[in-house]
Amino acid sequence: MTHSLHREGTISSLERDYALFIYPARGFNYNGSGPKVRRIMELLYLEAPSNMIVSTLRRNLYSGVRPEEVLESIKDGARIYSAFNNREKLKEALVGIKKLDEGISVVVSGLIDQVREMAAEINLNPHTINLSLGIHGRTDRLPPPDIRQFTTMCGHGMVSPALVRDVIRRIKKGRLALWEGSIILAAPCTCGIYNPHRSQEMLHDLVPLYTVNRW
Amino acid sequence: MIIRQEICVGCGRCHPYCPTHAIHFQDLKSAVDQEVCYECGCCLRAEICPVEAIEDSPQVYDYPRALRKYFSDPNATHALTGIQGRGTEESKTNDVTLRVGPGEVGIAIEVGRPNIGMNLTNIQKITRALARAGIHEIEPNNPFQDMIQDHSTGDLKPELMGERVLSAIIEIQVKRDRLRHILRTIKEVAREVDSVFCLDVYTLLEPGLTVPPEVLEIIESEGLSWRPNAKINLGLGRAWERKNS
Ligand code: SF4
Ligand code: SF4
Repeated sequence: MTHSLHREGTISSLERDYALFIYPARGFNYNGSGPKVRRIMELLYLEAPSNMIVSTLRRNLYSGVRPEEVLESIKDGARIYSAFNNREKLKEALVGIKKLDEGISVVVSGLIDQVREMAAEINLNPHTINLSLGIHGRTDRLPPPDIRQFTTMCGHGMVSPALVRDVIRRIKKGRLALWEGSIILAAPCTCGIYNPHRSQEMLHDLVPLYTVNRW
Repeated sequence: MIIRQEICVGCGRCHPYCPTHAIHFQDLKSAVDQEVCYECGCCLRAEICPVEAIEDSPQVYDYPRALRKYFSDPNATHALTGIQGRGTEESKTNDVTLRVGPGEVGIAIEVGRPNIGMNLTNIQKITRALARAGIHEIEPNNPFQDMIQDHSTGDLKPELMGERVLSAIIEIQVKRDRLRHILRTIKEVAREVDSVFCLDVYTLLEPGLTVPPEVLEIIESEGLSWRPNAKINLGLGRAWERKNS
């Protein structure tokens, strides 16, 4: 799964956007992983991520799901997907996960320079990197970059460009607040890695510039 | 996906949720173009329809149409692999599995991403180009494997040619000295493909989150560059807990 690898936007915006994943490995440390992942999930709740989902429930932080329900759903093989809008909060979470020492794989998607610094600060030795070499083929058919900075926060393509335009239009008309619009855009991402805090900032910047008649 | 015409009130609320404009107005109601629909489930999951007119089509799990759902809906579990999603665990559990070891690279071609999707005839252009170039190291555990009819030619199963998917991932794992040849082949076939794909390379890191210079040199010399953000396995998995399950 490479779905967090192609988040687009300016460097200053990406500095406030990290995806964090907890993955048991099928056929390796999968059996018995449930209680370990649950302990990590409990810790993550305290670190207030921008968004989070467990693969056994797939309901994001803003769906109204109760933390107890989420924790109870965790069984062997469950994965956690989350998004952070703040480097220091993510660092705190990583310090805690390192201390728990559950032996489960932890992956961060974010600016390489920032992750390098963070890893050095908390004495981690990153193991493997997945680099994106960009988009190829009929790039002329893509939605424009300002829309892609929203849609690529869901790497599975569940956040439709038409929905981004629709939300912008409704905010412009005064029918939606920025945060409400952000939550609408976060909902289709069933991995819970859409970062609604970053999205709110982007909407704030974009709404005055955009003219949208109809999606 | 289908919209029950007798119930739909034509409010149009569902339209923007569709990533591929498959929903359109027809006689003051909405309808789904079955040819275009990826069966991604976005419109239904949005729970936006005031009269619950949106339903899974009765044919959604019939082969070969079912591939649309398996490769477009992240919540769907692939019937063959029992795994949700398009790919394998590639880099994300590599600190435990060591699937990509020293001196090796993984390459992923994420067809249809971002946003656009692709029909399978276009994916076949890529698999054929790889086969012609003698690249046969396609990851055996990826659900994409099941689409291939003949590895020697890169032909996909003929019955799949009418289908389209929002994203599928072709994963290749090779020694680093094969990377240049593979990148070159992919760059060439990019001109023939009538959609988009994302290209990724994964490799073990050297101390201090240093990407092996040899890998970067090959990428650069092929005229490619890497994005400033990446997916990084932090090395907290314990490899000695291997094979206990
Ligand atoms: S299932 Fe997906 S592609 Fe099909 S109509 Fe609904 S949103 Fe569009
Ligand atoms: S939301 Fe429901 S009622 Fe409105 S157009 Fe779509 S299917 Fe019809």
